[in-house]
Amino acid sequence: MRSIDIHAHIAPLAASHLPEGQTWHGFTRREMNGRQFLVQGEKRQWLHPAYSLTADERIAYMDSVNVDVHVLTTWVGMYNYDLPGDVGAGIARECNDYVAELTRSHPDRFAGMATLPMQDVNAAVAELERAVNELGLKGAQIADHVNNKTLDHEDFIPFWSAAEQLGALIFFHQEGDDTIVKPRDTKGWAIDNSIGNLSDRVVTFGTLVFGGVLDRFPDLKVCLAHGGGFTCFGAGRLDRGWQVRSEARELGANIPSTYLNKVYYDCLTHSEAVLRYMIDSVGIDRIFLGSDYPYDMGIDEPTGWVNSLESLTQDEKEAILWKNLERVLGV
Amino acid sequence: MRSIDIHAHVTPQSYLSAMKEGRVWHGVEPHPLDIEPQLEWTPEQRIKDMDSLGVDVQIASTGAQFYYYGRGGQEIAAMHRECNDEVHQMTIDHPERFKGLAQIPMQDVDLAIAELDRCVNQLGMVGAMIDDKVNGKTFDEPEFLPLWKAAEQMGAVFLIHQGGGTLVNPRTRKYHLPNTIGNLVDRAVTFASFVMGGVMDACPDLKICLAHGGGYACYGVGRMDRSWDVGRLPQIPQPPSAYLSRFYYDCLTHSESALRMLIDMAGIDRVVFGTDWPFDMQIDWPVSWVLSLESLTQEEKEAILWKNMENLLGISSE
Repeated sequence: MRSIDIHAHIAPLAASHLPEGQTWHGFTRREMNGRQFLVQGEKRQWLHPAYSLTADERIAYMDSVNVDVHVLTTWVGMYNYDLPGDVGAGIARECNDYVAELTRSHPDRFAGMATLPMQDVNAAVAELERAVNELGLKGAQIADHVNNKTLDHEDFIPFWSAAEQLGALIFFHQEGDDTIVKPRDTKGWAIDNSIGNLSDRVVTFGTLVFGGVLDRFPDLKVCLAHGGGFTCFGAGRLDRGWQVRSEARELGANIPSTYLNKVYYDCLTHSEAVLRYMIDSVGIDRIFLGSDYPYDMGIDEPTGWVNSLESLTQDEKEAILWKNLERVLGV
Repeated sequence: MRSIDIHAHVTPQSYLSAMKEGRVWHGVEPHPLDIEPQLEWTPEQRIKDMDSLGVDVQIASTGAQFYYYGRGGQEIAAMHRECNDEVHQMTIDHPERFKGLAQIPMQDVDLAIAELDRCVNQLGMVGAMIDDKVNGKTFDEPEFLPLWKAAEQMGAVFLIHQGGGTLVNPRTRKYHLPNTIGNLVDRAVTFASFVMGGVMDACPDLKICLAHGGGYACYGVGRMDRSWDVGRLPQIPQPPSAYLSRFYYDCLTHSESALRMLIDMAGIDRVVFGTDWPFDMQIDWPVSWVLSLESLTQEEKEAILWKNMENLLGISSE
């Protein structure tokens, strides 16, 4: 059986192999406590060891877990929305050229998503056009907010317009521990990740719905990572808010739960009950395989896990593992 | 069929009259009232509405706007005593229709314990309603442990209910999302605070009811378990999902499928009836709603509507 993974990260080798003492878009590489980091000012971006793998080494890993295709997204350390727009644009171009090269050299194993300098919307639109039209990338990965602006902000209307026109899939993924649930690192609980990622994703769904983005751009393709977070489960309370609060309706949104089947989701739930709930809420044609390679919060055996789920039919498993993404991305 | 509502709010008459008469009330400056008209009703008017809804008993709590944890402990302890005395009077005048949840001044744990003790042991109240956080602190902080221990001894129930902003506020205040998403995020974080902070291990008999169906706690526990699987939660002996059945939850989900999932994950004996009377985010016809749910058995409906609450409170109508 085929399998295509929408949630698999990578970093350009130029960054992960940055020689000591040299700079890459203002970053230097530094080892701290046995880990490699890209450092710029106050920023500390952890380079996962897997980002040092060559394409062939990555493919060997993919073979070992029966994944045919990685739809590559750069690691979120490449967002850098806080840096000046020209720096972000330079990083994005280099990331996108790197990913595009992998998709050209291994077209049967890799497809790619763009990195965009969202702090400069015009530059982001230009780079998305280049990435899709010239490099053949399938869309882009962006964060749930850009310097604390959510994506319903009017500044982003040209971006959504371009994404719709290009047929680009926009994959929402938080930037590291920058979620609404602040890190509790002193205690090591990681709830900024376990609860925060899922919280940010439902806020994104809410802002796209109530902010009118999904109405204004009906052909837009949006995918919410981590199973859309708490979106499906929380839809009932969103509906109630829409029913009783005028501020939820002021931009003309319809009942929120009617938008659940207008976006896509990966299957990264770590729970069969949750995945089943999602399928029943949004429809089986809306869910993609997503593993979060190479992180420890990913699915260890992504295809093995999906295939093991007793509450899913064989057709449902195939839809998640490859059919849906093949249809939506044309890969 | 009986029904006991754990999630129903009261506004103290002493506050209302002070505001109307332009008097300072426990440090609260007089201000124009902008509240639901039902909150000005007498207990007798409230009972008429309960009759129309089919609600037999409200476990009444003064609203979250009266937490005031950011102010001086002594001043707010006095405010809370007055709130609690009013709720107590409702339970004395109408013992078959009202029980009470106390306000306690969480900014001073000693005062909070003293007021909880007074309310439970002298006034016969059920427990207390408290926020998800106290001046930025969550309930894993060791300073709160004496309160949990005292509550465990008293058999007091805590209803956890946000006040003021939620974790969504810094991201967006639009579209009512701080409530419709934020309440549910805060409740998941509170679940994590009690579990990962070791409170549930330290206090095996502690009774915590997470309002709004526990928010995203049950739906999000798979990812919390993954954190435990990969060694990020070494301090607890079991994965977070093992603690789901240690909490109680109200049924205020506005979703049959969410309620069904909550039952399946936490156990039917852990879900109690809660309506959020009289706010706009309440369940409009709460008893009818529960009775209408096709995915619940009759026994499950009865468990939610009244049996679980009777068991939790150690009372019996049978």
